[in-house]
This record gives sequence, C-alpha cells and structure tokens, in this order.
Amino acid sequence: MSFVLSPRTVEEAVGLLAELPDALPMSGGASLVAMKNARLIEASHFVSLAGIASLHGITATDTGLRIGGMTRHAQLAACDLLTGDLSMLRQAAGQIANRVVRNMGTIGGAVGNADPAADYLAVLACGDAHVELTGTEGSRLVAMTDYVTDWYETLREPGEIVTAIHLPAARPVPSVYRKLCRVPGDYATASVACASDGDGVRVAVGACGHGPIRSREAEAALRGNLRDPVAIAAFGAALADLADPVDDVRGTSEFRLRLIPRMVAAAISDLEGKR
Amino acid sequence: MHLEGEFTVAAPRLTVWQAVHDPALLARCVPGCEEAAQIGENSYRAVVKAKVGPISARFTLVVDIVEEEAPDRLRIKAQGEEGSRASMLTAESELALSDDGDGRTRVTWASDVNLSGRLGKYGLGLMKKKAESLSAEFVTAFSRRVETGEVVE
Ligand SMILES: Cc1cc2nc3c(=O)[nH]c(=O)nc-3n(C[C@H](O)[C@H](O)[C@H](O)COP(=O)(O)OP(=O)(O)OC[C@H]3O[C@@H](n4cnc5c(N)ncnc54)[C@H](O)[C@@H]3O)c2cc1C
Repeated sequence: MSFVLSPRTVEEAVGLLAELPDALPMSGGASLVAMKNARLIEASHFVSLAGIASLHGITATDTGLRIGGMTRHAQLAACDLLTGDLSMLRQAAGQIANRVVRNMGTIGGAVGNADPAADYLAVLACGDAHVELTGTEGSRLVAMTDYVTDWYETLREPGEIVTAIHLPAARPVPSVYRKLCRVPGDYATASVACASDGDGVRVAVGACGHGPIRSREAEAALRGNLRDPVAIAAFGAALADLADPVDDVRGTSEFRLRLIPRMVAAAISDLEGKR
Repeated sequence: MHLEGEFTVAAPRLTVWQAVHDPALLARCVPGCEEAAQIGENSYRAVVKAKVGPISARFTLVVDIVEEEAPDRLRIKAQGEEGSRASMLTAESELALSDDGDGRTRVTWASDVNLSGRLGKYGLGLMKKKAESLSAEFVTAFSRRVETGEVVE
C-alpha cells in the first residue's frame, strides 16, 4: 500500500521526500504505476508533483527555454517554440510510446528515471541542455552530458527532484531525431539526435550505453568535412567506440555497435537535405 | 547469466586463499553486503542489498563451498531469496588462483547466475551490466583490502 501525497509547492515536495525516506516522487505515474503493479518497486508514499504550478509549462528565459518537469510528452510534441535546432526535441517527444503514455508521461519523470533507452536523453545531450535539480538545499544545474553516471544512476541525489530542463534558445538550423525501434512506440533499439552547428554537427547517440554518448573531440574533427564520407565514417566509428550497449530483446550489443555509424551517417545526411 | 573475469592481487597465493575464506573480509568487499556469518564448516550466510534505479532488493543467501583444492581452486554455490520469496537467486561460481610472479596472484573466476520471480522479468541485459559493475567494485575493494594486509580477522 502506498499513499499519495499532493504538495502544492516544490519546497513542500522536497521537504516530504527528505522526511519520508521510503517515499518516491511521482510525475505522470506512467512508469511508476507500471513498476508498482509489476511489484518492482515498493514505496511508503508517492509524492505527486502534478499539483505544483511552477513545474508546469515552457517559458522563455534570458538564455533560452525552461521546460517545467511536469511538461507532458504530448505538450512537447506540439510545442511551437521547439524550432530549428530544438525541433529534434519535438520529434523525439512525438515518438515516445503511444498517445496514452504521451498524455501521461513527463519530461521530469523521464529524466528522473534515466532509462538508458529514453528518447529525451540523446536529444538533451545533443542540445546542450542542463537539468535543474532541486532539494531541500535549493536548486542546481547539471549538464545533460554529465548527468547519467551509470545504469539508472545519475548525479541526482536521493531526495532531489528534476524541476526543469534548460535549453539554449533555438537557432534557425536543422536538427533531426532518428529512432530505430522494432515497432512504432517501442523503446529505441538505438537512436541518434543530430543538430547542425555552423560547418559541423552536434550528435548524441541514445540507447547504446548507460547514458547518451557524445564526443566533442570527434565533432571538432568532423567540422568542415560534412560532405566527406570517410570523415563521417570515422566520426560514427568514434561514437561506436564509446558505446557499451546491452544484449537484450531489442538487439544484441554487436548489432547496436554496427547500427551506430549507419544511423549517424543517415542523420547527418538528413540535415544536409534540410539546409 | 554468465559472468567471468580475471584480476591480479599484489599478495601471495596463500594470503589470497585465506582471504576468500574470510566472511568478515568478504562482507566488506561485496557491494551492498549487510551481514555475513559462517554457519557451518563450508557454509556461510549473507544478506545482500542490490539496487537498480528505483528498484531495490534484499537477498538472504546461503553460500556453500562445494569443492576445493587448496590453494588453487574453489567451487561455490549460492542460493537465496528475497524475504517474501518474490524472487529467487542461484549462482554457481568457480575461482582459480595461480602465481603471477613477484609475489602476485592471478584470480580467474566464472559465475552462472539465475534469477527468477519478480526480478527475473526485468531486463537481463541490464542485470548483466549491473552485475559487471558490482564485480568490478568487488575486485577493487578486495584487492585493496588484501594488499593492505587486512586478512586475518
Ligand atoms: C508502455 C510504455 C511505453 C514507453 N515507451 C517509451 C518510449 O518509447 N520512449 C521513452 O523515452 N519512454 C517511454 N516510456 C516511458 C515514458 O516516457 C514515461 O513517461 C517516463 O518514464 C516517465 O514517466 P512519468 O513522467 O509518468 O514519471 P513517473 O512514472 O511518475 O516516474 C518514473 C520514475 O521517475 C521518478 N520521478 C518522477 N518524477 C520525477 C522528478 N521530477 N524528478 C526525479 N524523479 C522523478 C519516479 O520516482 C519513478 O521512479 C514508456 C512508458 C510506458 C509505460
């Protein structure tokens, strides 16, 4: 039996989580309820974040966008602010699961849960996003590229919640999210987020390790060589070298390692076509 | 799930052999081990807590040494369950020690782990990654404690 608590402010929510060590935060409940029903998790209380006004909505900031943790996938999939190099976030949100899950699930829950195959992780790493974490001591920002530290492990301390995602303002250059899955709506077997960046690209690979894979050195080496298939192949190989995929029902580790260079090359060619 | 590995410890074979029989020492090296005790000549009992994201489990394990050739080879069977019998775990492991020169010992190990029940349904690929990182943690802790001479309890 778990009790649901419904705080009205972030301070109240993190206070409850600090006070009740066996409590878990709950955003949409999309994954939490499924895990509870499968008896995978036990919690004395669920601290629902749904009633906290400051976690809802997407707002412009001095530096870009702040996406509240309670923002649902469906809202992001329809968000007009996500243009140019942020359009990949909109594309990713629209490819999560199905309509029911997109209406329920949230970006805060997805980032908090840090499923290695979650669609947002690669996009946010590619987009230079920061995760806003809030605990009883206040808020801090961590770069998405540093956030995931091991399988389902992140820099988030117990008792902290993901209150928002921060992104730089959209630039008018193309971006793409490519997701390979067995059937539409499945978790990714592998995914690639790719955004144009002057005469180069920013690229992050998803579902091929404990966290998203990005290499600024490899991106620097590719700069100016976006039409050179040899340079692109070397770039894909460099990212595959950083991968550590699982063997699972979606594919073997070997298969995923072979997918990476192909998907990366395909994503880069998508961008060239959109210029 | 099959796991295997190999590592070297900067200590002589006999010292390492004693260390792998020392429940108190092992308990401090096994990540998440909350208690360990000898319950028979070749039998040990341990309580180990493991966590993957929001999912955590506490297993009570009975570990038996089923075969040994001192100071080279050891075969171990572990069997355990969660308190509510929600999942069951069995593991058969083999350990071989050999001299690696300069007073160093090479440890080669292999383990077949079976998990059934509520956790058995959870992604095996991920469990393997988790098991690999726990093994690596164990190796680091074990080598450090043996090398600093913390063997006899
Ligand atoms: C059938 C199904 C298919 C899915 N397919 C996909 C898919 O294709 N791609 C994909 O990316 N995702 C997929 N998901 C996951 C989906 O994106 C969920 O929305 C996501 O896991 C988070 O759900 P939620 O926001 O409702 O969080 P919840 O279910 O409420 O919580 C999930 C976990 O995160 C923790 N948590 C919740 N909110 C926070 C917070 N603000 N800060 C810190 N921790 C928090 C909870 O304690 C819990 O452990 C799928 C889920 C289901 C059920």
